[in-house]
Amino acid sequence: MALAEVCGVNSYLDFNLPRNNDNFQGEIEAYSKNFSNNLNLAMPPFANPAENLSRFSTDENGRKLKINFDHGTTTLGFRYKGGVVLAVDSRATGGQFIGSQSMKKIVEINDYLLGTLAGGAADCVYWDRVLAKQCRMYELRNRERISVAAASKLMSNMVYNYKGMGLSMGMMIAGWDKRGPGLYYVDSEGTRTAGQVFSVGSGSVYAFGVLDSGYHWDLTDEEAYELGRRSIYHATHRDAYSGGIIRVYHMKSTGWVHISDEDCKDLHYKYQEDKEKLRNVRQ
Amino acid sequence: MSILAYNGGAIIAMKGKNCVAIAADRRFGVQAQTISCDFDKIFEMGPHLYLGLPGLATDTITVMERLRFRLNLYELKEDRKIHPKTFSSMISNLLYEKRFGPYFVEPIVAGLDPVTFEPFVCNMDLIGCPNEPEDFVVGGTCTEQLYGMCEVLYEPNLEPDDLFETVSQALVNACDRDAISGWGAIVYIIEKDKVTIRHLKTRMD
Amino acid sequence: MASERYSFSLTTFSPSGKLVQIEYALAAVSAGAPSVGIKASNGVVLATENKHKSILYDEHSVNKVEMVTKHIGMIYSGMGPDYRLLVKQARKIAQQYLLVYQEPIPTAQLVQRVAMLMQEYTQSGGVRPFGVSLLICGWDNDKPYLFQCDPSGAYYAWKATAMGKNHINGKTFLEKRYSEDLELDDAVHTAILTLKEGFEGQMTADNIEVGICDANGFRRLHPSNVKDYLANIP
Repeated sequence: MALAEVCGVNSYLDFNLPRNNDNFQGEIEAYSKNFSNNLNLAMPPFANPAENLSRFSTDENGRKLKINFDHGTTTLGFRYKGGVVLAVDSRATGGQFIGSQSMKKIVEINDYLLGTLAGGAADCVYWDRVLAKQCRMYELRNRERISVAAASKLMSNMVYNYKGMGLSMGMMIAGWDKRGPGLYYVDSEGTRTAGQVFSVGSGSVYAFGVLDSGYHWDLTDEEAYELGRRSIYHATHRDAYSGGIIRVYHMKSTGWVHISDEDCKDLHYKYQEDKEKLRNVRQ
Repeated sequence: MSILAYNGGAIIAMKGKNCVAIAADRRFGVQAQTISCDFDKIFEMGPHLYLGLPGLATDTITVMERLRFRLNLYELKEDRKIHPKTFSSMISNLLYEKRFGPYFVEPIVAGLDPVTFEPFVCNMDLIGCPNEPEDFVVGGTCTEQLYGMCEVLYEPNLEPDDLFETVSQALVNACDRDAISGWGAIVYIIEKDKVTIRHLKTRMD
Repeated sequence: MASERYSFSLTTFSPSGKLVQIEYALAAVSAGAPSVGIKASNGVVLATENKHKSILYDEHSVNKVEMVTKHIGMIYSGMGPDYRLLVKQARKIAQQYLLVYQEPIPTAQLVQRVAMLMQEYTQSGGVRPFGVSLLICGWDNDKPYLFQCDPSGAYYAWKATAMGKNHINGKTFLEKRYSEDLELDDAVHTAILTLKEGFEGQMTADNIEVGICDANGFRRLHPSNVKDYLANIP
């Protein structure tokens, strides 16, 4: 203890005390339970957040005070005989500013589950990460993979807790489980539906135009990829808030496969060339 | 959202050595929706005089027509070609007349002096405050990006070919960071005895 | 309303196709004080008689030579008050042009617009034509300009001319004396000589007025300056 004394440490000081008394953990816990439970976010500092938050999101004249989250997107997914195809763009915008042209809007939750993001980028990325954790926990606890239905329900329930507080996300969850290929649409309003064909985001209307006219159950794999790619391409062309790289994923019985990442610019000039060729042949 | 950003679009003009360049994107959209990729925002107002009108598309056309009207009268009345500087004053005057209900355009003038062939560029806000710098002017929905590109790429006394390259790079790369500009681009290089018009191959998303 | 009786133009055609009101106006001009304008190679000169009926009159306080803008000036023959109005309008026209184009008005433009105004007074209701002819001189594009504007709205570009009383003699004199490569100084001299033709009484610096316009703009000559020129005249 001589050294301790020289250093000016009182001998009555218990070296274990700081660890027990450290309120660092406590402080974080007191603010939100997020550290120990990812499902918990800090509440705004007033009562009845869901109800009262909206008071702060409008100004004195009742106009909306808008925070510019990353918003525009085009994503799509459809089921067909070969599984599920997901295709997305990669543009992230804040208002009219293009923040990124290389966003990954398909999240690889695990080998048999994919999620797409549209809406608030941060919301989507965060909750997808939590979902990935939850799915892994499920696997460890139950010694089997989680079903697409269950995974999507987890997601839906998680975000439902924050309904009305400004979460903004519209996502598709695609996977392959005992029941075969599965595709669900989940959003922050609480919607959760299984379906054959979905498209989400500001460019979805344009994507649907191409997708619906080209879709049928018996597409070959190549046809399916091309349909997804073309739908997104046309959406990026018409929609200012979609663009960048077009990513295509395929969910098979053996897990997901990343099919392609192609630049919109290359695709545009390729498609244009094809169109020219076709015109020349017809003449 | 600003009315100036309703249709989207970007224009840039730059001085070179005995030449000027003016370039614009080709998008005509309504907010997020791209309607066409062959919309003109640059107009020939004389043999060495070009006018760019970024902003609300309907006003782009109206202002161009009103200016052409005034310009035609001027040239008939005075029996001479207008000087780009005089033309800028004419625009400024037209815009300020509508001080309390303005046209939503931010004009850009690029040209050569009809006598000395001195390069000239000028831009204005939507109520006609003129600005006449020594190097370049920009306008439209991605001015921040355009200014950034210009500050980096611009150098004085560029030859026509180099000026074309600089202007094109500045415009295209600025548009690539703006959601509502782009979809093709057109570049005018104005020299004493010729005007070269080039279309650029750009991203179409 | 009584004034409605005069809401038609007083300038109406006579059966022979003449507008006699305009002829009367021109007669008023011809009876007015003489004025001369000469274009030189490096400027223009305007000169006019400014005689006073009484020795009590305070000379050089009311002028006949007036500046319109920095580079344009004018004089007249005919009725003084009508001239004042035209000067005021001409100045306004010049400033309006400057406001719109941020560029000084070309002399030809000013003349055209003033002439248009004068024409309006030959065809509007309740007014009469102006009783003056103007000499407008200017300097732009490195060139001198000299114009005459008549009550009818007609305007002429001159190398040299004379108006008002004795203008026929004045013109004949100028035709003899004028040459293209005249210097401004010589032109002033010639202008004064022209005025002297048929000048009644002694010509002094107090009963004529001279204005010159060159690359430096328009200015009215100071009487002492005029005196110097007069000294050289026999």
